[in-house]
Amino acid sequence: MSWRLQRFPSPKPSVALAVRAVAILLALVVGGLVVAVSGLNPFALGNQVMKSTFGSSFGLEDLGLLATPLILTGLAVMITRRIGLWNIGAEGQFYAGALAAAAIGLFVEGPAWLMLPAMFLAGVAGGMAWITIPTLARAFVGVNELITTLLLNFVATLLVYYFATGPWRDRGAGTLGSTPRIRYEMPELWGMVHWGFAIAVVLTVLAAAVLSFTRWGYEVRISGANPENALYAGIPVRRRIIAVMLLSGAVAGVAGMLEVAGTVHRLQGGISNNFGYLGIIVAVLARTSCLGVFAAAALMAFILNAGIILQTQGLTTSAIVALTGLVLLFTAIGDEFAHYRLVRADRATA
Amino acid sequence: MDIITGLLTTAVLAGGVLALAALGEVICQRVGVVNLGVEGLMALGAVTAIAVTISVPNPSVGFAAALLVGLCFGMVFAMATVLFRANQVLCGLALTLMGTGLAATVGRAFSGMPAKATFQPVIVPYLSDIPILGPAFFSQNILVYLTFIILPVAIHYLMFKTRHGLNMRAVGENPGAADAAGIPVLAMRFWYVSLGAALAAGAGAYLTLAFVPSWSDGIVAGRGWIAVALVIFARYRPMNVVMAALLFGLITALGYVGQARNWPVAPALLGMLPYLGTLCFIIVPVIVLRRMRQLPAAPAALGLPYFRDVR
Repeated sequence: MSWRLQRFPSPKPSVALAVRAVAILLALVVGGLVVAVSGLNPFALGNQVMKSTFGSSFGLEDLGLLATPLILTGLAVMITRRIGLWNIGAEGQFYAGALAAAAIGLFVEGPAWLMLPAMFLAGVAGGMAWITIPTLARAFVGVNELITTLLLNFVATLLVYYFATGPWRDRGAGTLGSTPRIRYEMPELWGMVHWGFAIAVVLTVLAAAVLSFTRWGYEVRISGANPENALYAGIPVRRRIIAVMLLSGAVAGVAGMLEVAGTVHRLQGGISNNFGYLGIIVAVLARTSCLGVFAAAALMAFILNAGIILQTQGLTTSAIVALTGLVLLFTAIGDEFAHYRLVRADRATA
Repeated sequence: MDIITGLLTTAVLAGGVLALAALGEVICQRVGVVNLGVEGLMALGAVTAIAVTISVPNPSVGFAAALLVGLCFGMVFAMATVLFRANQVLCGLALTLMGTGLAATVGRAFSGMPAKATFQPVIVPYLSDIPILGPAFFSQNILVYLTFIILPVAIHYLMFKTRHGLNMRAVGENPGAADAAGIPVLAMRFWYVSLGAALAAGAGAYLTLAFVPSWSDGIVAGRGWIAVALVIFARYRPMNVVMAALLFGLITALGYVGQARNWPVAPALLGMLPYLGTLCFIIVPVIVLRRMRQLPAAPAALGLPYFRDVR
């Protein structure tokens, strides 16, 4: 009786989950080794991170604050994955949503109960507008959305930078490179964590339900899995692509709006802590699971928060970006390995 | 007159960065692998060149060191995508994050410092006396001649005039058939992907040794992504890549000249030109070609891992 490795079309969910745990662990080990080589004690740093994150309610509140945009950008990327596309422009749509929301918040006056929904809608519109060109190019002429969505990130970053340091800059106080404070604020839910967190959770559950349990969601998934087949079955694939991509942009835009209205209260260059790019990792770690988005966003929030804590130790947030890249690399490799199973040679008649 | 010369000089200099990175990506994509890590590789190359020239003030040494670092990271990427057959998009994004993050971390010590050694212009006798074109094309540094003349000709010859090049393209078009014909598919992919990555890192070194002679965080600024777009625009041909790079360089140069001449447009808005231009160049040709029913032909097996054992 002999055994052999056989590749299966899809990995076992349990194996895929284990792969993620191993990938994250490996990335932390490699990161720790690099830290040790550069002369710092990784265990002491880890201890400090754990203490300041979980030792006080402040730490946990920070986690919730960082997780809010990450849930949404992760969701934005995950939605497009369902139809087999990549939206790696969540960063740009985040900026566009923040810009649109800030425009309403800065220049329109009204009661807060009216203005916050208005800013929310502006965020939706901003995010959607930002993904419109890649969407149309993808749906009508088949231009790969990877590069088009990504290129617009740089444009959005520059646009926000332009407004925050140019026409909308705060002329009063000495705050450089940001607009005046926006009066309309998301009310707080728990400590510093604002209601945006609840909105992010609700939107994620809603999107997951629609994608998993409705006919529309089914059609989206089929369009992603096999476009020709979907077309043959009478599914309007093009319309599904447009809807899904616009939805994805809208979700990322909401993340930007919540960051402006809930956390930063100003528009400033670099308002996104790479949330859009980290959203890709959140989506990859979560695979297609809605609960997975929460777990992955929490993890990324933890890592991001660790970077902020460790700034006092001379580490930079860019080191954290490198670490997340390592997580992504190991996950990608592990995902491929998860396709393999040991099977008995006499049963494998492939 | 000298505004045109200035524009062309900057265009050649700026286009060279893109050309070098895009040539690497052409090699990589022709054997069937999409490397989306160019941005990260360029950042690594840029910081390596600065760091090395601080202790050894010789630009060639800095450039070679960047190539070596690129080769090493390229081998990691190739191991993941070619040997382990992991998803190429994910590995590329991972490489971009790793590269930019690592480069920024390492580069903090050199931030804002001018490069200790740079490539000096080499003036080609007689040709540099040609009005307008001479100064722009024939009194540039050695890297410009390398990326605009030597490398593209060499790669074109290798890819389209030799048997080895035919094999190379076969690996990108139909790895199964190539394998059956006895071509070592995995070895071919592994080494050309690594080589392409080395060139991408070289483009980063070009950036800090010949174009903007200092390191600062975010110095690559999406040039890696523009290079990837350029490969598609150039339809995977090395000679086209050079022409396209010149065109893209011209757009970048327009932004610089605008800033230098105080055009009444904010610098941040002028800075958008390369990205918006690239966006146009990637979408418009597809629309036109669809009208003519002539879609650009990417290598048929582009982005697909090769499994000999799974059929």
